[in-house]
Amino acid sequence: MLNWIARDRVATLLLVTIAVLLAVGVAAPGFLAPSTASMIWSNGLVLMLIALGVFPVILTRNIDVSGGSVLGLSAITLGLSLNAGIAMPIAIAMTLGAGLAAGAVNGVLVAVLGVPSIVATLGTLGLFRGVMLIATGGEWIEELPETLKALGAKSLSGLSVMGICTGLVIIAVWAFLRSRRGRWVMVVGDNRAAARHLGLPVKRIEFLAFVWGGGMAALAGITFASQIGFVPNQAGTGIELRAIAALVLGGISLLGGVGSVAGVVIGVIFFTSIDTALVFLKIPAYWNDLIGGAMLLTVLLIDGRLRIALEARDRAARYHRGDAQAPQSQKLEDAA
Amino acid sequence: MKKLVMRWEVLLLALLVIELIVFGMINPRFLRTSSLLYGTSDFVQVGIVAVPLTLVIIAGGIDVSFASTVGLCAITFGIANFFGLPLAASLAVGFGTGALAGVLNATIIRLTRLQPLVVTLGSLYLFSGAATVLSGVVGANGYEGIGGFPTAFTNLGYAQVLGVPMPLFVFLCFSAVLLVLLHMTRFGRLVFQVGQNEEAARHSGMPVARIQMWTYVLTGLAAALAGLLLSAYFGSARVDLGGATLLPAITAAVLGGASIYGGKGSVLGTIIATFVIGYLQQGLQMSGVPSQISSALSGALLVIVVAFRHGLALLSAFVPARSSQTN
Repeated sequence: MLNWIARDRVATLLLVTIAVLLAVGVAAPGFLAPSTASMIWSNGLVLMLIALGVFPVILTRNIDVSGGSVLGLSAITLGLSLNAGIAMPIAIAMTLGAGLAAGAVNGVLVAVLGVPSIVATLGTLGLFRGVMLIATGGEWIEELPETLKALGAKSLSGLSVMGICTGLVIIAVWAFLRSRRGRWVMVVGDNRAAARHLGLPVKRIEFLAFVWGGGMAALAGITFASQIGFVPNQAGTGIELRAIAALVLGGISLLGGVGSVAGVVIGVIFFTSIDTALVFLKIPAYWNDLIGGAMLLTVLLIDGRLRIALEARDRAARYHRGDAQAPQSQKLEDAA
Repeated sequence: MKKLVMRWEVLLLALLVIELIVFGMINPRFLRTSSLLYGTSDFVQVGIVAVPLTLVIIAGGIDVSFASTVGLCAITFGIANFFGLPLAASLAVGFGTGALAGVLNATIIRLTRLQPLVVTLGSLYLFSGAATVLSGVVGANGYEGIGGFPTAFTNLGYAQVLGVPMPLFVFLCFSAVLLVLLHMTRFGRLVFQVGQNEEAARHSGMPVARIQMWTYVLTGLAAALAGLLLSAYFGSARVDLGGATLLPAITAAVLGGASIYGGKGSVLGTIIATFVIGYLQQGLQMSGVPSQISSALSGALLVIVVAFRHGLALLSAFVPARSSQTN
């Protein structure tokens, strides 16, 4: 049991999420309904997209904390161009372009100039937010066209267009990471020197990871604007930290090379369902941070201790095996 | 001589002087002693947390939770005051909260061996959540402040010591203490050693865990100091007092020369960087630039300066190779 919990983070988190949801369902009747599931999904869309964007960056052992500002920047690109009467497909293309360009700036700083990623993206976090505010003159963008809001509105199946898009992105990332080139991303994060010696284009992979992060943040910006219907100045502030927290919860290591798409999805859903559950339990919203933070720290503490205990046991088993002779080793391996 | 001129702190100081001259040309009022002195009250809290944060970064860690600790300490101080504790006891409650926050961070990092960024990210939420919930205890729900401080306390925020405004004086004294602590004591050498190579430090019998614990506790205490100063300055304790210090403080530490990989950095650099960032914001505001743009420019400043420094490092890595070829 101990083994299983420590080794399969995703399954454990899934069980914990289900347990929490069931407990809330008992406390607040009416919570366990398909409509809640669709609500959690749509509430978590923006966070999910940002998390999916940061995911490959973290896999390469970098970090991107500029996601919130890229979200804001691309949301106002969309808003300003739509309100200027540009057709929807072109406006969306421009938005994605803005996000990709912002990601490319991060990528150049980190992969080409060699600036530590946390410093570079911390700088661009301020920079992009400022560019966004300069473009809007500090005003909110309101009166977005109905065609945009339709993208965020739920259809009969309880899924919005953006919700379906996000689902497709999840499948795409999953498929990509299983492909040959997808493994490269993991390799770069796991052992950069080894990846170089294998002849992988390490810098290009890092650069592309940041560009992907920018593109996903742009998609998150489109989702944000379509769900809310206007773009406030502080759109996306702080979401980058929430996304990183969700990723960590989902078992993605900030040391690179470790993590799965399932972990991303379940981490985000866990975070979102806590927020949604608090609403159902009629707990005032100002408890959110306290409960979220305490949950995150508790999971980290338990997980960290389990990992350490497991490593110690593995090591002990190895030493033990060294003493004993070959016939016994099979049994001990099973025990470990 | 060349070594002195090429010191990062000297370059930063030159940057600060250029900045002051440029803003002085745009708006001569900026260079008045009074505006230079009293303007600092708006940004010294960034420096107060950035200086101990430099120690954390040098020792190979990072702390992002201080931004919430500032508000949390202000709130616990406000609550203690609300329940009629004497001023000294209330202040002790505030500082105690800060120290406890630091101990909690260091303990969890130690116990889990996870990256400090992850752990302090969690406590960033935990502390701001705790502060919000606690402020509800005394009826100041949400982001409303806790007020009603004794005048002896609120006067502190506007007091002058030797002609220097109180916040600036506190900042200078506090950073002088840390300057001595980091660069002239055994503890300081240990901080550098732990950051340079944690394993080597552990194997040579250095108290790695205790050193790291102290750096986090110092940051917690500094956050408490900043929170109390801000409460005195504004006359009320609010949850979000420290929210705006998160990015500038990390920027100041990094701009000041601290390496995010640990083992490098200087208190003096962080102090100068604090003034560079602070006066940049102020100068831009006095030149009629909206505050949003000034935040963009300070982000750009960080990126450009750090990219410049890494560019220099890349260049110097190339140059010796070439010169050895020609020889």
